[in-house]
Amino acid sequence: MLSVLIQKELKAIILSPKFTATFIICSLLMLLSVYIGIQEYQNSVKQYDAGKQLIDEGIREATSWHSVRYRAYRAPDPMQIFVSGLNYDIGRWSAINSQSMVKLRNSSYTDDPIFAVFRFIDFTFIVLVVLSLFAIMFTYDAVNGEREDGTLKLVFANSVPRARYILAKCIGGWLGLVVPICLPILLSILLVQLFGIPLSADNWLRLATLIAAAIAFFTFFIILGVLISAMTKRSSVSFLLALVAWIVFVLIIPRAGVIVAGQILPVPSTAEVEGQVQSFSRDRWATFYTAQEERWRERSLHNNQSEGDLSAVEEEKLWKYMEEDDAARKAVQQEIDEFDRKLNDDLRHRRTAQERLAFSLSRISPASAFQLAAMDLAGSDIALKSRNEQAMDLYRTEYTQFVQAKQAESGPGGGAFTIQIDTEKGVSIGTPRDQAAVDATQLPVFVPPTFSFSDAAATFLLDLGLLLIFSIVAFGGAFAAFLRYDVR
Amino acid sequence: MSELPLQSTQPMLEAVNLTKRYEDGVLALDRVSFQVRAGEIFAMLGGNGAGKTTTINLFLNFIEPTEGEARINGIVTHLEPLKAKEQIAFVSENVMLYANFTAIQNLDFFARLGGQTHYTRDDYHNVLLRVGLAKEAHHKRLRGYSKGMRQKCGIAIAILKNAPAILLDEPTSGLDPKAGHDFIELLASLRAEGKAILMSTHDIFRAKEIADSVAIMNDGKIIMQRPAAALVDTDLEQLYMQYMAGRSSELVG
Repeated sequence: MLSVLIQKELKAIILSPKFTATFIICSLLMLLSVYIGIQEYQNSVKQYDAGKQLIDEGIREATSWHSVRYRAYRAPDPMQIFVSGLNYDIGRWSAINSQSMVKLRNSSYTDDPIFAVFRFIDFTFIVLVVLSLFAIMFTYDAVNGEREDGTLKLVFANSVPRARYILAKCIGGWLGLVVPICLPILLSILLVQLFGIPLSADNWLRLATLIAAAIAFFTFFIILGVLISAMTKRSSVSFLLALVAWIVFVLIIPRAGVIVAGQILPVPSTAEVEGQVQSFSRDRWATFYTAQEERWRERSLHNNQSEGDLSAVEEEKLWKYMEEDDAARKAVQQEIDEFDRKLNDDLRHRRTAQERLAFSLSRISPASAFQLAAMDLAGSDIALKSRNEQAMDLYRTEYTQFVQAKQAESGPGGGAFTIQIDTEKGVSIGTPRDQAAVDATQLPVFVPPTFSFSDAAATFLLDLGLLLIFSIVAFGGAFAAFLRYDVR
Repeated sequence: MSELPLQSTQPMLEAVNLTKRYEDGVLALDRVSFQVRAGEIFAMLGGNGAGKTTTINLFLNFIEPTEGEARINGIVTHLEPLKAKEQIAFVSENVMLYANFTAIQNLDFFARLGGQTHYTRDDYHNVLLRVGLAKEAHHKRLRGYSKGMRQKCGIAIAILKNAPAILLDEPTSGLDPKAGHDFIELLASLRAEGKAILMSTHDIFRAKEIADSVAIMNDGKIIMQRPAAALVDTDLEQLYMQYMAGRSSELVG
């Protein structure tokens, strides 16, 4: 009997006129989104390769280690085709040097702000917004629609157990909607293959689990529609209720979670932190320059020269003074860096706590659970920035140590030179030692952080578990509501 | 498939002091009792709100009785609803089937739901032809069907279930005279097959024409119940009006 009811549900969905239209729209949207995703990914790869090439050329052309400029680029991930997440919002590269902290700059939207206006619709968005709406619009009248049509009486004039009927509604609805949706998903994957996007085994695993999460999310909305239809007698009422439920789950709860977390655990803005760092930096440099001025005055006096006159000071001594100044400058910079790091660490910790709270609160909604699961799987989650910045920060330490060692080998540089004016020899400009040639092969290479399924597994499993729990609760509710349902 | 107890003396359909009081206090059915045997048609006459549909709903266990019981082939409907429903087929006043399905698809679904999985396409065509639905309509979606055509499909579904008892809730309502006549003929043939038929109707003439027993209901009670043989020389309409008027004067008094 269950199979008879399921077959009927399947047939009813597939034969309904709205199914064809909705299916075509969803399929086109999905294929279009994946196509745009592929284009975006290919652009990202091009930008990444061009950036790396530019850095390589810069290093090759550098005449000294003082003039080497390095940028670390965030590597594109093919999963961004399906889940853009924060990928286009955070910077693509960071300058690597001893003077400034790692900070990702120039997001895709910075380069092309028009894309920020009409944001790229990805697979996740389609599942999150379009398919959930699609599911609920197909099932909001699953039970009460039959009651209004009069077929429910005729069905229950037969020996049909209510549990089996409601189970058939859910399974039939699921098969009728999920199986056809798998077709455009498969076509999308085929499109990715046709464009020659390289997908590793890990990518395939992540993609398969992403589809599983999408189906789990879609299932919840199918059952939610059945639940609402089993709680109401009229389809006009259930339509409104379903719409409200959709708005609450998809639009309100995820945002409310973030707002509430912001109220409970406030975090200073990046601008405030930068302001504090700048203020500290200004004070420290002011102190440094005053001290430096004082030092030079003392040096002049020490060399029996009038204040500010160092014309008779030996070159070696002069270099020594400059080295002392450089060391003092570095100490100040280190102090500022330390302060910056401390504030940023604190900011990061507070942000992490706020994010955790926000995500925990918003996970009340299956939409959040799905979105977080998708971003976790794709590696375009909230940790994308910190993951890259941490890797770059580690690299910065390695890079700085290496470059400083090289600079020390080649002596003071970075624009430091001496000008000597002699009445006999004339003007001569000199660097203290000959420049050593820059060998780019020696430079440690930045390896972008790798992200794999195992990195996402813990949070993904939590969200997938939540999605399943939501579906089970919705089914329990639908079952309980239908046990008392007046079929007349 | 249920066996038809053609010669059985046990009533196929039985209402015993069947009473239904809703939660809001309205007494919809008040100690109604009757019996319908195999090969009998029992017609319930009465105005709107008389309790006819409530009686049928109690037999279908769509609602549970406050007191008394409805029995189908000896099975108490509210105690063993699934078992009881195996014994009945139902045709509602306004048969509404799946509008996106064809007649054949509807028949196939309801037949299999009723446990009859052995039917072939030919069986479906034959039964539809038997109820008077032209062959060219068999593969058309029900969206375009008239009420009479849907009613015929409903009867076809009831026939396919091959249950010993049939419940008809105002089956001729809204049918044109020809369709009404055909329907009565079909009922006669079903009776001849030994079906016990409980029919609620407003149609006094059809009731007299086909029923073996007639009951007049008002305010949830059977106020008159007679075998059709006793009504042969009676103007049933006049009798009905008299009972209604009597009831009204009682109420006024």
